[in-house]
Amino acid sequence: MAAMGMRPGIIILREGTDTSQGTPQLVSNINACQAVADAVRTTLGPRGMDKLVATGSKATISNDGATIMKLLEIAHPAAKTLVDISMSQDMSVGDGTTSVVLLAAELLTKLKPLIEEGISPTRMIQTIRQTGRLAVDKVTALAVAVDQQEMLLKCASTALNSKLISSHQDLFAPMVVQAVTKLHEAGNVEELSEWIAIKRIPGGDVRQSFLVEGVAFQKTFSYAGFEQMTKKFENPKILLLNVELELKSEKENAEVRISSPAEYQSIVEAEWQVIYDKLDACVSSGANIVLSKLPIGDLATQYFADRGLFCAGRVTDGDMKRVAKATNGSIQTTTNGLTEKVLGTCGWFEEKQVGDERFNLFTQCPSTLTCTIVLRGGTEQFIAESERSVHDALMVVKRTIQSGSVVAGGGAVEMFVSNALRKHALEIEGKEQMIVTAYSKALEVIPRQLCENAGLDATDILAALRRKHAKDGDEARWYGVNIEEGGIMDTFALGVWEPSDNKINSIQAATEAACVILSIDETVISPKSQDPGAQASGMMGGGGGGGFGGAMSNAMDIATSGGPRSGQMAPGVSYMKGRGGA
Amino acid sequence: MSMVYDEYGRPFIILKEQQAKNRVKGIEATKSNILAARSISNILRTSLGPKGMDKLLVSPDGDVTITNDGATILSQMEINQQVARLMVELSSSQDDEIGDGTTGVVVMAGALLEQAEILLNKGIHPVRIARGFETASQVAIDHLAKIAEKVEFSQDNLQPLLTTAKTTLSSKILQPHKEKMANIAVQAVLDVADLERHDVNFDMIRMEGKTGGSLEDTRLVNGLVLDKEFSHPQMPTVVKDAKLCILTCPLEPPKPKTKHKLQIDSAEAYEELYNQEQTYFRDMIQKIKDSGANLVICQWGFDDEANHLLLQQELPAVRWVGGVEIEHIAIATGGRIVARVEELTADKLGTAGKVEQISMGTNNSRQQDRILVLEDCANQKAVTVLVRGGNKMIVEEAKRSLHDAMCVVRNLVKDNRVVYGGGSAEISCSLAIKKYAETVTGVDQYSIRAFADALDDIPLALAENAGLSPIEEVAAIKSRQVKENNPTIGLGLLSLDEAELKMDGSKEDHTMDMKELGVFETLIGKQQQLQLAAQVVKMILKIDDVISQGQYQY
Repeated sequence: MAAMGMRPGIIILREGTDTSQGTPQLVSNINACQAVADAVRTTLGPRGMDKLVATGSKATISNDGATIMKLLEIAHPAAKTLVDISMSQDMSVGDGTTSVVLLAAELLTKLKPLIEEGISPTRMIQTIRQTGRLAVDKVTALAVAVDQQEMLLKCASTALNSKLISSHQDLFAPMVVQAVTKLHEAGNVEELSEWIAIKRIPGGDVRQSFLVEGVAFQKTFSYAGFEQMTKKFENPKILLLNVELELKSEKENAEVRISSPAEYQSIVEAEWQVIYDKLDACVSSGANIVLSKLPIGDLATQYFADRGLFCAGRVTDGDMKRVAKATNGSIQTTTNGLTEKVLGTCGWFEEKQVGDERFNLFTQCPSTLTCTIVLRGGTEQFIAESERSVHDALMVVKRTIQSGSVVAGGGAVEMFVSNALRKHALEIEGKEQMIVTAYSKALEVIPRQLCENAGLDATDILAALRRKHAKDGDEARWYGVNIEEGGIMDTFALGVWEPSDNKINSIQAATEAACVILSIDETVISPKSQDPGAQASGMMGGGGGGGFGGAMSNAMDIATSGGPRSGQMAPGVSYMKGRGGA
Repeated sequence: MSMVYDEYGRPFIILKEQQAKNRVKGIEATKSNILAARSISNILRTSLGPKGMDKLLVSPDGDVTITNDGATILSQMEINQQVARLMVELSSSQDDEIGDGTTGVVVMAGALLEQAEILLNKGIHPVRIARGFETASQVAIDHLAKIAEKVEFSQDNLQPLLTTAKTTLSSKILQPHKEKMANIAVQAVLDVADLERHDVNFDMIRMEGKTGGSLEDTRLVNGLVLDKEFSHPQMPTVVKDAKLCILTCPLEPPKPKTKHKLQIDSAEAYEELYNQEQTYFRDMIQKIKDSGANLVICQWGFDDEANHLLLQQELPAVRWVGGVEIEHIAIATGGRIVARVEELTADKLGTAGKVEQISMGTNNSRQQDRILVLEDCANQKAVTVLVRGGNKMIVEEAKRSLHDAMCVVRNLVKDNRVVYGGGSAEISCSLAIKKYAETVTGVDQYSIRAFADALDDIPLALAENAGLSPIEEVAAIKSRQVKENNPTIGLGLLSLDEAELKMDGSKEDHTMDMKELGVFETLIGKQQQLQLAAQVVKMILKIDDVISQGQYQY
């Protein structure tokens, strides 16, 4: 170091660039990941707590790992990896977003001493990958297929267990299962979110939430005359439009020159004629209900009301599509040439008061795939969290259908795999043994956290679980934490089931994330490009900074690939390098 | 949020703008949330019950509101703290669904949180507390259903409805006039109610407030009241057997929507244009006249020329009537809304028995108020309550109180089961829960019992607000309830007025049978209160981590 300091520094990186490298960097990254995991740690399991994240005037209360991670706005580059796996878990499975983060962070924590001991990260990555595969194999072997209906119900219940609405599982689980099964029967599970809508109405009690087999949406903005319309239809014909039904100028920027007052009247007449033609076309198509994505004006409203039709304008795109799908209608972009064929139909339509809102309900539709779940609840935040929970449950059910098999929750799978890995580790020679052991230990984080959140003695229970699994092997494979009474029990018998895909996905994702973080040995953070206003204070003395930036990536590569570094780094970093690398 | 350092003393920046973020974790977070929520409920506590006090709220632009309606107080307070806001939403949720008991629900939630804090200090896990509360609330709800009694009423026997409305009104400013107001509320609801379907369309009840006169002058109009006047001062002020033509087009020369330009290049052309306009007006008015209409309601304005013609033709007219009002008029009078004069036909006209323009206030004032009253409309199912009062604040508060009373009556029409008020239902539930708690083993027993204690808080607050000794009164009620096995014993506050008259200094017994006193509340209202309170408390207890963007923390 001393020798280096005497040489004039070679400036490679743009001033203000933060770099750090080597083992300390790795350790520091791991610490960051731990800090992130700590933030969501307490949300795991049925005794998990919620977080309140306030951004500006909006507050979110959530128990969902992915939601919290998103709201935290994590800036640390390595820790962001954890956010990403949480998101990907949310996207592909919908549940287990907290446990995947915990698992990845724990894996890294358990490997940290090994890194400090000097085991090469590359070797670790290799072993972890293998171990991950092994773990997945174990889970696959463990998974059992059971009667579908029961399986779905229990998986949905398990997913809801940790949520705010956990005491209303009996209401939501069947609701969710019913909705997804319908879709599945028609082979449309993939497009879950398109077919199943969740609507929320603040007010009332959670238990007043209900499932509509068909489409439901809030009353749209209406004009005078709306109240005089027929609000109930049996077997109505439904016309779906993407046309504005309003008296207005036909073309922007058009100008009419009239030379005599008599012509004036004819222009007015012509304009009215245009809108009347449209309205006539709608009515004569035989439709009873006219829906449009674009506004339906007061004139049209009154016109339809006079003729016993119902209409709603400004229907949102998603709702419109669902109506089209449910009623077998198609959305028209013009009112010309409407035929019987483009009209949709359903068994029953009505406008219904739900709490403070009015809903348009289309039920008994010919294609019964679409469902709408209407959520009620005391406060806005409550419903928002309910919606996330129901969404999680929906995804889990969908996943269960796809994977077709389940494993027991409550930390049972993790303990079983951990036990198997521990045994496996003893058969390996060399450093890998340590790594596999670390992996097996990391898996224990799930049962441990479950205990901790429930206020149970984690050490005792883990010891009991380890013993049970080691002693009875396969027989004890479903033994996990008994949250209710403390101690251990067969969680499979208790009905705490999770789709096996869920577990496999989280093991894979966590392993992958750990590998990514382990493989980083250098971070280069370019200084923020400053806005002109802040330049005076921020970029003082950094004259050439701007011009330098473009060449930087090359220079950086060269710098990374080897050679001593200049004294350009922050003092802390260079000291770090000296000490940690030794 | 403070910095985290790793073992090499290097600071982490994990979150964006970490320094500016505030984080409270663990039991500390739970406790500070409880504190925030309870401070809200403490504000409302003194507004509970018949002897509850009012709050005076001044809005940012200086508008003054005086009310003791929980939902109104909270919504005007502009609360920023997130958890406290949950309480606000709690009360507005009760307001939306039930319309009454908005104070009670917040006080209940506050009481539950108070109990939760004690349990937390004992080291019980918040989620277990919340679960105990939920179990207990279910027990209470079942118990309420058990002690609830059906109230039979019919068009001929309105007494039960009147009694309920009076209970609601007794805590409001309208208390001295509750007899009359209860009558109005019940009549208004029954006029629009569909007793067969147990449905009440609240949209058909309009509430108009006018400052001036006294609360006594408040009346129910079997029809509509418009805050409008006839377009010309010389028009007749009373139209009997009115036939209304409801227009949504202005009585003006037509204008194409497309951008246009009319070029006049000679005096003749100008003359022609003028004549055309004149013809247009005459045609329009003639068409209206021909249709048989004798009253014009228009959403838009009139040209002076048209106004003049209308006067000549003896067609009283009202202009600039809002869209919602237009719709109500159309429904009430059975008319159709007409978008063009050309389309006007006799069958599109609405009918009203009498349309009258009433002047209010003193005539020499420039701002004398005129209102239009449409009575005896074709469709009887539209009523308006015209609220009068000494000042704007009283009128507004009277409107809110009447709305609450109507909500209660509506709830009875929907579901005619009631429980008795005066804290009797709460105490009865509290007793039932205590009994149930003894059958539960484990930690839950404590939290369930805590729920029962929280329930006692409502009668305690009632007594406190009435200036009685809370503990004594509640203990007396409890012992009587158990002794007589009668769940309807409660705190008889309404008779206090008479009691005071005795002036003999002897200690009054305030425990009374609420059934005899006729104080009752709807079952659904009470059940909802407990359910919502338990729900929100669970939500608050479940939070163990608050991360917020701390402002001004640099």
